[in-house]
Amino acid sequence: MPRPNFIGLRRELLHSGISPRHVYRAISELDEHFEDLVYAGLEDGRDRIVAERNAMDALGDLGAVSRAMRHQPELKGWAWRHPRLAMFVYPLACIAALPAVPVIAGVQHAPQIARWAICLLVGGFVTALMFLVLQLSITLT
Amino acid sequence: MAQTNPPFMTGVPELLLLRLLEQQEMYGYQLVRSIRQVTDDAISLGEGVIYPALHGLERKGALKSRRKAVGGRTRVYYSLTRKGKQRLADLQQDWQRIQVGITSALEAPAHA
Repeated sequence: MPRPNFIGLRRELLHSGISPRHVYRAISELDEHFEDLVYAGLEDGRDRIVAERNAMDALGDLGAVSRAMRHQPELKGWAWRHPRLAMFVYPLACIAALPAVPVIAGVQHAPQIARWAICLLVGGFVTALMFLVLQLSITLT
Repeated sequence: MAQTNPPFMTGVPELLLLRLLEQQEMYGYQLVRSIRQVTDDAISLGEGVIYPALHGLERKGALKSRRKAVGGRTRVYYSLTRKGKQRLADLQQDWQRIQVGITSALEAPAHA
């Protein structure tokens, strides 16, 4: 069944810095438009394959859609429009979010986190014990 | 059949979109059909490129969009803002000036 390569278009647009909001909406609109064209073809009495082929022709080259979006700077995400500000804000946001990560992750992965935490504690205790024995042996000899 | 997006078409899709959306809110497919209808198929757009144009106009504040469920499907409807109305008035003025200029150039006797 011939269908436009919306996945490729989505990837291309996201890689070129178009705001995800515009990318996902444009893809969903193109998909709906394609369905409308196919439906119109079927209503005209064409069989499905012909209707889909005609719909693809009518929709046009997706490369042209991509170029038209990439040539509009206002459709780019804010990080692409203000890269210096993004370089400052993103690391700060990540640092600010760090304390919340174990809490968020812990809700879903509580047993794994508990296992890892116990392993780390046991490992730390064994290491501390070894250092203590070593220190005592140095002191007493 | 009309050529799709010839070079002199710059600004024409924008003018048509704003003019059609001035009358009522529409979604992409409906707009393409309306453009065909009002221009008697003289202007044939690659239908997919209407969306970058709509998104660009929305970002510039000339249009606003809203999702609306119609017949079990969700459509994105576009309508004109106050800024869009002003932009349409400016474009219409520009277009009429160009039209007058071209008409007088075509009617004037050719110079050597």
